[in-house]
Amino acid sequence: MELTVDERWDLIDKISKQTITFGRYSHTLKDAIAEITVKPLTGIPIAIAVMYGFWSFFGAFAGFFTDGFFVKIFDEHWLPWLQKVFPGEGGFLYYILVGDPTADNCFEAFGMLTSGLFVAIGVVLPAIIAFYLFLIIMEDSGYLPRLAVLIDTILHKIGLHGFAIVPIVLSLGCNVPAVTATRTLETKKQRFMMATLLAIFIPCGAQLGMMIEIIPGYVGFVMLYLLIGFFVTGFVLNKIIPGRSPEILMDVPPYRMPTVRNIGRKMWMRVKGFLFVAIPFVMLGVLLVNVLYWWGVIDWLADILEPVLSAWFGVPKETVGPLLAAFLRKDLAIAQLSAIEMTTYQLITSVVLINLYFPCVATFAMILKEGKEGGCKSAPIFLLGSLATLVATVFLFGGLLHLIWIILGVA
Amino acid sequence: MRNKIAYDIGRVYLAILGIVAFSFGAAEIMLSITGKELEWGILEMSGDFLAWRGLILLFTGLFYMVSIKNFTDIHQQAKAVMASVMIWIIAGMQIFGMIMGSIPGGEEGGWFSSGENFLAAYSAPYIPSLFLLPFSLVVIYYIYRLRRSEEREREA
Repeated sequence: MELTVDERWDLIDKISKQTITFGRYSHTLKDAIAEITVKPLTGIPIAIAVMYGFWSFFGAFAGFFTDGFFVKIFDEHWLPWLQKVFPGEGGFLYYILVGDPTADNCFEAFGMLTSGLFVAIGVVLPAIIAFYLFLIIMEDSGYLPRLAVLIDTILHKIGLHGFAIVPIVLSLGCNVPAVTATRTLETKKQRFMMATLLAIFIPCGAQLGMMIEIIPGYVGFVMLYLLIGFFVTGFVLNKIIPGRSPEILMDVPPYRMPTVRNIGRKMWMRVKGFLFVAIPFVMLGVLLVNVLYWWGVIDWLADILEPVLSAWFGVPKETVGPLLAAFLRKDLAIAQLSAIEMTTYQLITSVVLINLYFPCVATFAMILKEGKEGGCKSAPIFLLGSLATLVATVFLFGGLLHLIWIILGVA
Repeated sequence: MRNKIAYDIGRVYLAILGIVAFSFGAAEIMLSITGKELEWGILEMSGDFLAWRGLILLFTGLFYMVSIKNFTDIHQQAKAVMASVMIWIIAGMQIFGMIMGSIPGGEEGGWFSSGENFLAAYSAPYIPSLFLLPFSLVVIYYIYRLRRSEEREREA
């Protein structure tokens, strides 16, 4: 016998009336606070305050390490020392490992041991630590499930539900665990939608860190643009993809004080993942892009793609290099953009393009893996569907941003 | 009787604090919309996230004012507590930013800030939430005392 959703709820009501006895319980202040944080009228302002806290903490913490110490270490000590002692200036090995011999900062040198190390350790690591620290506190205190309840109504409009907030928030740290976290969603449709939307629209902590460094005044605008893109694309995908988006019941735990031990353990687990997985990819990215530059492949591609890049997106042809690097590491690609001469608006468009463009190779591999394990007929269908959405999105939202600049008269 | 007086004093306090927080919030939002900044004595309304800070303060003021009605209800008291927490988030992050900014030596300086620059990082002007911070702590203390006294009354 198949019961409708309403009939199931009626049945649950009847069973609970017969089996549960309610004693006297007086509400504590903690209970009342727990309740008002999930009610939209009071919960949304509180969520705005929490998100403000997150951004302020992220900026202050990452800025302290990056601008306060790492920039100085890498630009004033490490780079000049390497440029001085590394043999064979102008040779292949020098170009790959140290990069530009005339560069006076690690953003522009673009060698494996200069830009590669600086981006990975000097910029991304503090950003990742700041992000995970705040996320763990939200998780362990019990606020994250409440955020899920709050956002449930909005996410239902695009065929997802409140628990999709977990992969979304995780994705702001790294897309790889976020794609794995899509397993908590019930249907193939939801998993496909979530993995695709994450890969396209949610910048990882590393990208965020780089964006704060490169376009500090425009990060809010870029995030808003991506958020609008997330919901518009989600809405369209929900309409065109067949499948179900079922309701769920959420277990919301009481508020608890996070313990230092748990925070430390979770933190180490996640940062360890970054150190051993992401840093080799950053190095590999610099290596590959430098080799392609050395062989002239990137200049050749830039000439071929110039009409599309200039006419449709309004960005210079030199962005081909960063766009290729974005496949390996998007943070690295954003760092590369800073060395290209262009207007602020072209820079913003390029940053948005890198965000929307192909997911990094680690995320790509995870989407393929989840496609297999998620019970889809075949992983390639899952992946190709994601990529088709991605191509359409890049052209649509990249072109739209160019159009906005033209209308504003700044392009 | 003592509780009645305590409630009345608390409600007046929350009303004043609510109006002040709401006004600061509205002013910050207006300034961010018009693209202006304000520095008046030791008070400043400028910097990154001005509109967001204004919006949060506006809600804080509303929470305090809404909590006045039927203040004996624990949910109303929870609203006042959360309003205070929202002020702590803004003020706490401002103080955290000050601490983080005061330690490194900066682009031209050494590794660490000189004593003079260190102290300068903490000098006025300050954002409105920093002024509201001690007053929001009074709210928490007041609600804590109120809960204790209600529990004692119930036990008696």
